[in-house]
Formats: sequence, C-alpha cells, structure tokens
Amino acid sequence: MKVKIKQWNAVAQWRWDTGNKDAADDEEGDVCGICRVPFEGCCPSCRVPGDDCPLIWGECSHVFHMHCLLKWIGTAASKQQCPMDRRPWATAERRVDNAPPPTT
Amino acid sequence: MLKIWSMKKNEDAVAKKKPKTSAAQIRVQKDLTELDLPDTMKTHFPDPNDLLNFTLTITPDDGMYKGGSFVFSFAINTNYPHEPPKVKCTQTIYHPNVDLEGNVCLNILREDWKPVLNLNSVMVGLQYLFLEPNADDPLNKDAAQELIKNREHFLSNVKQSMRGYNIKGVQYQNVMG
Repeated sequence: MKVKIKQWNAVAQWRWDTGNKDAADDEEGDVCGICRVPFEGCCPSCRVPGDDCPLIWGECSHVFHMHCLLKWIGTAASKQQCPMDRRPWATAERRVDNAPPPTT
Repeated sequence: MLKIWSMKKNEDAVAKKKPKTSAAQIRVQKDLTELDLPDTMKTHFPDPNDLLNFTLTITPDDGMYKGGSFVFSFAINTNYPHEPPKVKCTQTIYHPNVDLEGNVCLNILREDWKPVLNLNSVMVGLQYLFLEPNADDPLNKDAAQELIKNREHFLSNVKQSMRGYNIKGVQYQNVMG
C-alpha cells in the first residue's frame, strides 16, 4: 500500500523541568503553591505562559512562579521566608538534571 | 511562534474589553472547589456572585462547645493569598481566643499566614479552637484565666454563655442552634 502524505501538522509540547520526576504522580507537584495554577500556565498577572512568566527555585527545593514568589517576598508579612517551609528564602541556581556539560 | 507574538500584541486590547476576574477570585474559586469540610462546618454565600464574602457555621460535635452553633464572617481582599482572609466571629462568645468584638486569635490568620495555606486550612484551624481552646496568648483574658485556674468552672461558664447568660457583666449570645 502506498501512502501519500498530503498534509501534516506538527504538534509540540513543553513543560518546565522542575526536577520533580514524579510530578505526574503527584497532583500537587506541578502547580504553583501560591496561585495554584500549573507551572506551565502563568501567574495571575500574566497572560502568556513561558519565558515571560518563569519559575523560580529556592535552595529549599521549592518552586513557584517567579512573579508569585516575588510578590510574597515583597510583603512585610513574608519575613522573606519560603511560603512552604518558612526557611529564609534563597534563590537557587536553576537545576537542570541530565543536562550535557556546558561546551564553552 | 508568529501567532504567539500577535496574540501578545492583542493582549492589552483584550484586557481592556473584558472585566478581569481578579487573581484573588481565581484563587478563592480553586480553594472553594477543594474544600473538604466535615459535617460540622457549613459555608453560606449571601450573594452567590460574591465569592469573597461569606459565612462559615461551625457546630462542634465534641468538646466543651458541643451543641453550639458559631457563625464566622470571611472577608477576602484582592491581595489574597498574599494576605490572609479577614475572619470574625459574628456572635459575642465566651472563648479565650475570641474577643468580645469577634476578633479571632489563630496563628495562621496572623503571623503564621503563608500563601500556600488555603481556606480549608483556616476553617479546620477555626474548628480546632473550639475543640482545644488555648489559654496562651488570649484575646479574652478572663476566659483564659478561668481555663487555667479552674477548668470545671470554665466549662460551666462556657455552657452558660452559650445559653445567653451574663458572665462578669458581659451579656453573651445564645448560640444553641
């Protein structure tokens, strides 16, 4: 049987690499704890997800939408603590697991 | 990709046309759908279109306040979840952690609030106050003193106050549903 492709549509999917491999099993694992919107969505003050509404990683390993976390840290009530564990917030280097070593 | 850029250009125009649902409303909506309340707690929305203002009735089925029906008002402002909901008891009750104006002393409504908490955690916390009133850091000092000094007498004061009696010159409200 010969098949002639008349038309094709490319479909792509993306998601943030949160370092949480079990995110699919863990219902709470892939939403921002502050706004409760999935990481792949955007924070309530943005309209387009992606690089303009990035995630932020804490050294305590907790992840949030950057805008949500910065808004919280900006309030006096936050005492600059992580909203999950109340440890002093320290922004971590983004962890990219399984990434090839930098070539430069 | 090109489509995304043009979408972005239209963003502002769209934002102006549509009355925007606030971030607080979106978050409250999620909290409410996730509410998992025991039979002892019921929410009531006087205006079904206003999710930010409602009441919660707690009817403890155990502990010293069993048999009472306690009504709290919830007022959520647009900074939610960065600010906790404002919760007040709508009745005059005899409780070490609730003052006569209805202000509630619950850590997660004040210094220990954090935006990963939700309405369910607040409601469960409120119910806990009726099961385990605590005399540390009280709002009603007389009630707290009594709880420490003489638990039996405190209990009898609670029972009387719930029937609408006067204790030490304060007229309490009958909360026996």
